[in-house]
Amino acid sequence: MALKGLDIFKLSPKKNCKECGSPTCMAFSMKVAQGAVDINACPYFSEDAKAQLSEATAPPMKTVKVGAGSEEFTLGGETVMERHEKTFVSKTRYAVALCNCMDDVAIDAALAGIPKVEYERIGERMYVEMVYVNYAADGATDYVELVKKAAALGRTLILGCTDAEVAKAALAVCKDGKPILNGATPDNYADMNAVATEAGVVLGVTGADINGLYDTVKALEALGNKNLVIDTTGATVKETFANTVQVRKAAIKDGDRSCGYPSIVNLAKVAKDDMHLQSALAAVFTIKYGSIVVMQEMTYSEAQPLYGLRQNIFTDPQKPMRVEPGIYPLNGADENSICLTTVDFALTYFLVSGELERSGVPCNLIISDAGGLSVLTAWAAGKLSSGTIEKFWKEHDIEGKIKSRKLIIPGKVAVLKGEIEAKLPGWEIIIAPAEAAQLVKFLKDMNL
Amino acid sequence: MTLFDVVFSGNDTVYGLTESAIDAAIAQHGADKAVAFPDTAYSLPCYFGVTGTKIANLGDMKAALDVIKSLMTRNKRLNDVFMSGVATALCAEFIEVLKYMDGATPYEAPCYGHLGDAIIRELGVPLVTGDIPGVAVILGAAPTAQEGVDLVKSYQAQGILVTLVGGIIDQCEELGYKTGANVRVIPLGKDVTSVIHVVSVAVRAALIFGNIKGGDAAGLMEYTFKRVPAFVNAFAPLDPVIVSCGAGAIALGFPVITNDVATAEAVNIKVPKSLIVQPDVSKFNATSLEARDIKIKITHIDIPVAFASAFEGEIIRRGDMQVEFDGSRVDCFELVQTKDASEIEDHKIEIIGPDIDEMEVGSKQSIAYVVEVAGKTMQSDFESVFERKFHSYLNCVEGMMHTGQRDMIRIRVSKDTFNAGFRLKHIGEVLYAKVKSEFAAVVDKCQVKIYTNPEECTKLRHELAIPVYDKRDERLTTLTDEGVDVYYSCIMCQAFSPSHVCVVTPERLGLCGAVSWLDAKATNELDPQGPCQVITKERPIDERIGEYEDVNEAVRKFSQGALEDVSLYSIIEKPMTSCGCFECICGIEPLSNGVCIANREYAGMTPIGMTFPELASMTGGGVQTPGFMGHGKHFIASKKFMKAEGGIERIVWMPKDLKEQVKDRLNATAKELYGIDNFCDMIGDETVAEDPETLLAFLEEKGHPALTMEPMM
Amino acid sequence: MPFTAKSGKFNASIKTVTVGTGDKAITLGGENVLPFYTFDAPIENAPKVGIEITDFGMENEPECVKKYYEGCTTLADIAKKAASFEGVDFLSFRMEGGDPNGANKSTEELMAALKEVADAVDCPLVVSGSKNAEKDAELLSKAAEAVQGKNAVILAAREENYKTVGAAAGLAYNQIVGAESSVDINLAKQLNVLLTQLGVNASSIAMNVGTAAAGYGYEYVASTMQRVKAAALSQNDTQLQMPIITPVASEVWGVKEAVTTEEDMPEWGCQERRGVDMEVQTAAADLACGSNAVILKHPTSVATISKMIKELV
Repeated sequence: MALKGLDIFKLSPKKNCKECGSPTCMAFSMKVAQGAVDINACPYFSEDAKAQLSEATAPPMKTVKVGAGSEEFTLGGETVMERHEKTFVSKTRYAVALCNCMDDVAIDAALAGIPKVEYERIGERMYVEMVYVNYAADGATDYVELVKKAAALGRTLILGCTDAEVAKAALAVCKDGKPILNGATPDNYADMNAVATEAGVVLGVTGADINGLYDTVKALEALGNKNLVIDTTGATVKETFANTVQVRKAAIKDGDRSCGYPSIVNLAKVAKDDMHLQSALAAVFTIKYGSIVVMQEMTYSEAQPLYGLRQNIFTDPQKPMRVEPGIYPLNGADENSICLTTVDFALTYFLVSGELERSGVPCNLIISDAGGLSVLTAWAAGKLSSGTIEKFWKEHDIEGKIKSRKLIIPGKVAVLKGEIEAKLPGWEIIIAPAEAAQLVKFLKDMNL
Repeated sequence: MTLFDVVFSGNDTVYGLTESAIDAAIAQHGADKAVAFPDTAYSLPCYFGVTGTKIANLGDMKAALDVIKSLMTRNKRLNDVFMSGVATALCAEFIEVLKYMDGATPYEAPCYGHLGDAIIRELGVPLVTGDIPGVAVILGAAPTAQEGVDLVKSYQAQGILVTLVGGIIDQCEELGYKTGANVRVIPLGKDVTSVIHVVSVAVRAALIFGNIKGGDAAGLMEYTFKRVPAFVNAFAPLDPVIVSCGAGAIALGFPVITNDVATAEAVNIKVPKSLIVQPDVSKFNATSLEARDIKIKITHIDIPVAFASAFEGEIIRRGDMQVEFDGSRVDCFELVQTKDASEIEDHKIEIIGPDIDEMEVGSKQSIAYVVEVAGKTMQSDFESVFERKFHSYLNCVEGMMHTGQRDMIRIRVSKDTFNAGFRLKHIGEVLYAKVKSEFAAVVDKCQVKIYTNPEECTKLRHELAIPVYDKRDERLTTLTDEGVDVYYSCIMCQAFSPSHVCVVTPERLGLCGAVSWLDAKATNELDPQGPCQVITKERPIDERIGEYEDVNEAVRKFSQGALEDVSLYSIIEKPMTSCGCFECICGIEPLSNGVCIANREYAGMTPIGMTFPELASMTGGGVQTPGFMGHGKHFIASKKFMKAEGGIERIVWMPKDLKEQVKDRLNATAKELYGIDNFCDMIGDETVAEDPETLLAFLEEKGHPALTMEPMM
Repeated sequence: MPFTAKSGKFNASIKTVTVGTGDKAITLGGENVLPFYTFDAPIENAPKVGIEITDFGMENEPECVKKYYEGCTTLADIAKKAASFEGVDFLSFRMEGGDPNGANKSTEELMAALKEVADAVDCPLVVSGSKNAEKDAELLSKAAEAVQGKNAVILAAREENYKTVGAAAGLAYNQIVGAESSVDINLAKQLNVLLTQLGVNASSIAMNVGTAAAGYGYEYVASTMQRVKAAALSQNDTQLQMPIITPVASEVWGVKEAVTTEEDMPEWGCQERRGVDMEVQTAAADLACGSNAVILKHPTSVATISKMIKELV
């Protein structure tokens, strides 16, 4: 249970010394309560107070770092079960699976396919972040060589390997990239622990069932290793879902710290060769507690909806998603095409641009900075007014970039018409319908 | 003769007729002869509805007479009257069904007689939705054919379904008035017993749409009373049979309006709201609608120019303006007043003074418009809520601009709009139509008075309007949490802050600053299922921090269990949550033993060590954060502002702009509560300090009371 | 030490609503756990999958859907074919052509089309409107009459027309009333309250709380559905215990990931595969968040989601 900031403050030194980086002890305490800073950043908290607080402030789920350099990211650290309660902090990462049991042609095709998915969506780079390299004892290809090839892609690796010796050899060629060694079992955990610890990498725990997983985690914790992830993949889809949900629930709701680790869900294993099923399940595990989801393949088909979904799910429930303000020419619009303006709230943008695209009418959609709020909220908050539009027009030199002098404004802020006319002399201001769904007909009726 | 005598004798007459008709039929056809209405699955619907028994043949009917007889008690209580009325109706149904024996078609155009189930399903939907706002049953002949037809026409124009029995049918035919189901004027039959066919519609509506089981007489009557907005207009002369039928109608919840003064006076009994004498037939419509509480939806605003929100932002420039009403130069005002229903003639629009066409082009004029409303659930507290909407109503008129409120309004009408025929009465039309349609839940009647004589405007402004405004302001300042019985929840922002619930009290408006207790109250009345719900405050747990069991239960319910308990007046113990749209946040500044307040517009640092966005990220999302709380600006000067921790004396810092905004009221509260003069001068701001140490020095210099108060933690 | 999980079974459960008649009737709802949480308690009725066709027949369908209906010349053929695909539990007929801003087909024409479809199949039926609330008031009340005795879902009554649609479907003709709100738990609840006040039996209501294609503001959809289920199960909020039915097809087949051709975007690859993935991912997300039924368009999507449900339940 998270502690309230005020309780932490009561135990704080109350010196306002600023040495922790926060201007006051109150601010520091509030940040500790949020989990934004470590209590040890304060040199003056008494050991007594820290001990009192550490248990209470420790997050229910560990935050685990994997990858190196620009490819470093965090997994886990979640504090809630559903996104509306509080922002999910570490988004699901997607991996594509390779195996030394594949033939060279298949391996080369897979390696070539991984970098193909590469695009940007609402300011976020979308790509395959991880590569899962599976080791099969009877695999024809040399595992270490395969790991080398995979590492050359520059993505963070997950070594799916339960043989400690092989793992050691593989880590020797890739440990600087901070991969995950996914292969501790009830039988080999001590050896694997030694290998992972020595290489300084995160260790993944696998097991035949949830009890095996749990025991192995406990055993590893007893050895002092808490730098773990849990591979919750079971024998079937159903078991995988049950493991993944139950582990997360035990950690967050019941405070079982031994369940408080990120998860790996290997769809390439449980839905082998059925890409549409993997695609569907990837969506399920993005919503339900997959920290890493492993797929057999990741093309634009799977990636576009999946990354979009992830972008939606891992947002602050109180902060709407925004799009970059600017001019968006649609349907082959040029400087002479009619202009429409609306706010930078992503949902509004998608709705409006979708309808405009459907209309086929060339037009310039001008998105002004409205703090990411919806039309009426922005208007009420003063973030969408004749003044903000005038300012935006000046800052972005709209009149220099566009020759058309017709501007359609959202029907919900028809009230701004007169003021905008006054602020943007020479522009004809036209009122759009109140709902985006009516835009197609509206534009059609305008006979542009 | 008393009403009892009349009803009982009418009932006995019909019963006698029924008995002999059945006996005659049995003699002719035998008891096994089948009887049925065509196209219905409900046998004899009225008898089935009341008793749950289906009648198949003449023998069943004979047996059923005993059941009917058992209703015909004669104890001279009102209940006997109603039950005898029901018995009369059932007898009428028996008489009517006999007409349909052997597949006969007893009714000829224009009369319909029995109506099949299909028509009921079809009519039932608009009845349930209110698209047919009522059902008129007109019985007998009007004093003249023209009066009868005018009455029919008036209902038809309102979308009311009209059924005709007896002489009125001939009157319609005489004047060539078109009737038929497609125009929703249905002649049933010329015998009085044919009235049962409309009762049958009401009964089957209950069976089909209300899911009432046959035999559940109480449920049936409750349904027809609540859901079938029918009423009876019975023309003089009333005979005992008609009166006893009327008693049946009343039993079903349908009021009877008659012009038979003589009979009504003779029987000398009043059944309030159910038996109404209205000697003037031209007033039958209004009287009936009021008696049955039928409200006619207004869908059209009768003005010569367009009305749409697209015109809301129009600006009328001086050169384009026909006339201007300017409250800043001459006396103008707008006002809503609650009146008694009897004082209002619905949709009356009075122009007192010259109209626009008598005014010089481009001149400044006086105007005062008073919208008078009446309604059973109307409360004077709603007046200001309506009034605030006038601005947007009048702005939606093409070529009309409205700014300001109360006696500071300014209105411009464009030349184009004037040339299109727009006159003062159209302002009345707009206000009437919008008030009636948007506030239909509380407004039954509405009339508008528009004054343009300068002297009259001046007089009314000072004698009528200003006292009302003053009284309202007075009410606002005297409205206390202790003085009301209920608070309101507000969950308007749950869309983005799912577990947040505002508890709105008179002294603590919603934290967004936009929802006062009165607003919440009006929202609740107008939209009972909407975002504002009543919270009782009957079970206090701790008066000091303002915690109530009722409030906690409501908060639990509306947050879907996310929130357990809240206090109204403490920021440390179970403080109220915040959604994210708060105008201000206050938070504890420990060094000075007080609180700092930051408003949304303030971009700098606060002595707490956090900026507004940082504070907002800790406080929002419907999570309780002891020591921090979001609130509206108006709340700062409230006597309930963190009352549990000592109240406004704890305020040690706020941004200069905010301080300016709340200064007068805050100083007044401080003076009243603690006898401190110019309290705001003791409060720090960003020009004094943005860190706690400098702030403390400032507070010590000023002798701020928070420094000597009990420690907050 | 074995892993011990606390059961997440709730005392409350989702109401069951049966759609259709006879052997092929389906039952939605009934569960007392979160979606697919079979480890907490068995899921009483697995979620169901519907296939959507419209009054335009194959006219406006993408090529990749058309090819599955080769040889079908009438609406009846199309309906029969649609109902025959693997994994189809029910058929949804959407009267897209009724939209006054579109083809604006007359009610009579659409009723004839609806009857043709209804007579052609014996599987449970969902009848959807034109998305224009005013037109739907008329269209859907007539539809309720046209499919009397079919125990169909009339999708949907909205705030603007709930009285007409609710009275016709729920009261006059004993169908199931779909209650559509736009991604807001409070609006969803309010509509259910209004419908029950109108007299519609709570067990004759199925909700459509709205959806969006994955990536298109889906966060609101996820949170709305999850909160509806939480309120229904953990708070025993009887006004939110109606099962949820989610039309996916009409949302996903219009987004650019599904409509952009391979010629225009060669690097995106096969258009059909993209469309199906957009459809199955959105449907899978809806089901994971609490939908009791989804309505899809592509036969491969139907088969995939049907298989996924079998795997999970």
